[in-house]
Amino acid sequence: MSNRLATGGRIDRARPLTFTFNGTRFTGFEGDTLASALLASGATLTARSFKYHRPRGIVSAGVEEPSSLVELMGDDASGNNAITTVQLSDGLVAKSVNCWPSPQFDFGALNQLISRFIPAGFYYKTFKWPSWHLFEPTIRRAAGLANAPASAPSTGHFETRNAHVDILIAGAGPAGLAAALVAGKSGARVILADETNEAGGSILNRNLEINGKPALEWVAKTVAELADMPNVIHLQSSTVWAYREHNLLCINERSPDHKTVLERNWRVRAKKVIIATGAIERTLVFSNNDRPGVMLASAIQTYVNRYAVLPGKLVVLFTNNDSAYGVAADILAAGGQVKAIVDSRNSVPQFALDRAPGVEVISGYVVSDVAGRSRVKSVTVTSRDGESERSIICDLLGYSGGWNPTVHLFSQSRGTLKFNTKLAAFLPEKAVQACICAGASSGEITLSDALSDGAAKATAAVKSLGFKLKPLKNLAVQQSFYTVEPLWRVESSAKGKAFLDFQNDVTVSDVQLAMREGYSNVEHVKRYTTGGMGIDQGKTGNINIIGTVAMEQNATLADVGTTTFRSPYTPVSFGAINGLREGSVILPYRHTPITSWNHENGAFMYESGARWRRPGYFPRGDEHFQDTVNRECLTVRNNVGCYDGSPLGKFELKGPNVGEFLDLIYTNIMSNLAPGKGRYGMMLSEDGLILDDGVALRLDKHRWLISTSTGHADAIHQHMEKILQFDQPHWKVMITNVTSQWNNVTICGPNARNLMKKFATNIDLSSDSFPFMEFRDGTFADLPARIVRVSFTGELSFEINVAPRHLRDLWDKIMAAGTSFNIAPIGSEANHVLRVEKGFLSLGHEVDGTVDAYDLGLSWIMSKKKSDYIGKRSVDLRRAGNKVRRELVGLLPDDPNCQIPEGAPLTPSGKKQATEGLVTACVWSVVNNRWIALALLENGRARRGETAHVRLQNSVIPAQITAPVFYDPDGKVLRS
Amino acid sequence: MSYNANITQQKTGALFDIKGMQSKVKKFVGTSLPNFPKSVNTASVKDDISLLHIGSNHWLLRAPLDQEPALTEILRPNDAPADLSIILVSDTLSFFSVIGPDADQVINIASPLDIHPQAFPETGATFTEIFGLKGLIIRQKDGFSIAVEQSYGDMINDYLSRVMA
Repeated sequence: MSNRLATGGRIDRARPLTFTFNGTRFTGFEGDTLASALLASGATLTARSFKYHRPRGIVSAGVEEPSSLVELMGDDASGNNAITTVQLSDGLVAKSVNCWPSPQFDFGALNQLISRFIPAGFYYKTFKWPSWHLFEPTIRRAAGLANAPASAPSTGHFETRNAHVDILIAGAGPAGLAAALVAGKSGARVILADETNEAGGSILNRNLEINGKPALEWVAKTVAELADMPNVIHLQSSTVWAYREHNLLCINERSPDHKTVLERNWRVRAKKVIIATGAIERTLVFSNNDRPGVMLASAIQTYVNRYAVLPGKLVVLFTNNDSAYGVAADILAAGGQVKAIVDSRNSVPQFALDRAPGVEVISGYVVSDVAGRSRVKSVTVTSRDGESERSIICDLLGYSGGWNPTVHLFSQSRGTLKFNTKLAAFLPEKAVQACICAGASSGEITLSDALSDGAAKATAAVKSLGFKLKPLKNLAVQQSFYTVEPLWRVESSAKGKAFLDFQNDVTVSDVQLAMREGYSNVEHVKRYTTGGMGIDQGKTGNINIIGTVAMEQNATLADVGTTTFRSPYTPVSFGAINGLREGSVILPYRHTPITSWNHENGAFMYESGARWRRPGYFPRGDEHFQDTVNRECLTVRNNVGCYDGSPLGKFELKGPNVGEFLDLIYTNIMSNLAPGKGRYGMMLSEDGLILDDGVALRLDKHRWLISTSTGHADAIHQHMEKILQFDQPHWKVMITNVTSQWNNVTICGPNARNLMKKFATNIDLSSDSFPFMEFRDGTFADLPARIVRVSFTGELSFEINVAPRHLRDLWDKIMAAGTSFNIAPIGSEANHVLRVEKGFLSLGHEVDGTVDAYDLGLSWIMSKKKSDYIGKRSVDLRRAGNKVRRELVGLLPDDPNCQIPEGAPLTPSGKKQATEGLVTACVWSVVNNRWIALALLENGRARRGETAHVRLQNSVIPAQITAPVFYDPDGKVLRS
Repeated sequence: MSYNANITQQKTGALFDIKGMQSKVKKFVGTSLPNFPKSVNTASVKDDISLLHIGSNHWLLRAPLDQEPALTEILRPNDAPADLSIILVSDTLSFFSVIGPDADQVINIASPLDIHPQAFPETGATFTEIFGLKGLIIRQKDGFSIAVEQSYGDMINDYLSRVMA
């Protein structure tokens, strides 16, 4: 059966398209949507509802579609698309969601047999005994609608883009186009964005005239005029989906004019926003109002005029307002038969009646029930007083409950809404941000009002921005009117379900149940029933829910209010939001000049702090992880190794007050450090916990270079700037981040100095001339360098700092010169072992956010001489309480070959009691030939020599408590 | 159809970070440098040397790398008085040039900065955000120079390749 009209529509009949729906092939035309093509082919039953699996059809013609969702397959794969928003393309493959095997025959329909046991909120009261987990797998399998695509699109990518404009206009219907003309002519920077594939809005769907000609001609002329304005960006198939703070709006452009960009998300900062998003027709609520063949009256009008489809032969219209009469006129003009217009109003305005001459108008009546399961067969029409009833045979019921101005974006901007009794709708009241609604979205429903309102609002916006106005030609539009009498639901004796929210199967009785159970606030009703929480966000039915709540409470809709409108206005693909940020750039990453060498030499790389990619270890041949780490540790302990220490944070501080500043931020005294020397320091936060540690070098009287941990460099920079800008603004201290000005190769091991001597340098490297914790500026290997004697491994160590442009050269020279020493690069894993052997602390291991420097045995670093420094008071207060403290200790498992998991708890005698500590690190020590560990243990220092117990799930590991150092306890090696 | 723009990573150039009151900088450095920009977030140019005003009492001096030794002699970072900070930072930024008719579009993808000539003039130079990172954007003939912290250079190359894919 074909419902396609012989002529008319904005489809291209010269370009037929073939598509597949639920396994059946259909044809349509270029310009069709999936919905219009299916309706043209006579398809009525296109979906099953979410909970009850009731047969459903197509209700609307736009984004407000509440009933039919489809999953697209193949290259276009995506889930949960409203059938009315899918632009038809050749070869499209789509299927209905939430039904198996098909909408025509769906096993899920069994739910209808138990529907009385599964009202709204039933899951709050069920699936509890014997355990929720018994039901969970089945419910998870059944949950959701369409499947997510299994893979990304095979070609193309997504993109995000920023823009700044003077005026953003959302909606290219009559009000939006009029506004765009005014704004564009003034020279303002304008973006005009509209969600459908062509401009015109409601003009596309109705037979209207402007200046005595078809209104579509004015649309085409306006679009052409806007295209000639270089200051105007006109986007179609582009939904303004979010209104954020400070006039930031997001636009999802679904068909960008760029071959490789699939979708583009615009982030637009606008000085003014004009919301010209029109109005959405609302449903009416009566028994079986969800049957296939029951659709919005305006949708029928759209299908007739825009797509040349008349979805039924025998039409009944049910309305409470005037706009349905225009629909009747268009159906008649298309050759359709309107059996009757059922108008709930007792009195129908003459101008409305004049639009549909010859059509029976049954005023003061309502449609109380619909017969037919897979398709409407007839409707029951009942008088408002219930006294009289008749049945009318039909195959299509169009209903119109009035129009809701589309105020979603305005509400997202946090503007307030107010109920207007004349329009029986919520209208924008007070804006909070620089925006205004125009046209139908502000309640100006008719064409003439929408055009003039759009122009007027744009004029005001343009003037406020200081642009010069250029006059628009007057538009002659026939005056039209719109009146409505609200009908929130039909009350009758019919027993069928009356749906308020089609998508989530929410009925009148569900709302009544929610209110009986005490959920009387509309926000609670929403969440209890899930009304308005579907993909359509209740665009057609939310007001009916509010109306039902008002009726139950004997209140006004103004009293009940609305729920909060949230973005996105319509679904947006994750890809568009993400843009280019995928694959290798999904997270930031940082490299040093040695990164490529690491890759070339088989390093196992991972992120280790502040997005730096560093080598964990350098496996050779068939080495396992532990073999490699052992080899690298032995290389450093017995010979010489090297590593790239570039990522450490480095800051140069300059100014007359640097000394005082460092004394404030470090726990120990820095101001008395002599130029040319370095000192290890610790920083605390205001609550006395360890913030960071590092070495400070004094370059000259007023110049310092401090280092921080790699992962905290940015945080410490912010910490320092905050102190200088807020707490101590009178201090002259200038901070410059030089982390990437000084890269370094660190050479460590007993042969470090011997290797260094192989290079030309003007620096005396002997231990007498160059002791530990000092630095020298000069040249090394013919490169300008700063060499620092610090050690993170506990071995003799030289940190050779050069500019990054020289680092690869230096590294290659060191590796070449080091071959005679069997030099090896070492990674983070070996570094971890070496520092554990020395008992050097590590942020994130021993420094766990609960211990202070005293707990870690670092009382020597907490100055007794300074009257104050950041964190001092908090430490003193905390320790004044005399509570038991966890202290850093070493652990030697009784079984030397027994590894203790890092993080494992320590309990008294290994019993199932509250923990008395935890293991912070456990490594295989090559120099001790056994597993060693560091731990935080209550009263640890006093318990050396005793046995602690690690409690695991299935075992207990005894370990001897020792001092937290397992190699060179006196530090002679690193000072050599 | 990709964007009509040429993107190239620039070689390391000479870069100095200068902090301190303008009058004191002038007094210490003399007249070898370009005039100080009159407005914030703008640059002044003299021969090959640019002076970028990037914050309160904060400038970046930028020049070709071969001028680094000569500029170091003029600026004398180690001898600056206590209330002036002059630091060589040549290696701390990775620079890229984005040139061509679609350079604007590329920058709009990378950054939320308003680059309309009314907002970002011919002499525009400012720190902002580039692909989520702190970055510098400078207007140049037929396009822009952008820069990020040096260690992120490979990542920005990666991003720009994706833009141009």
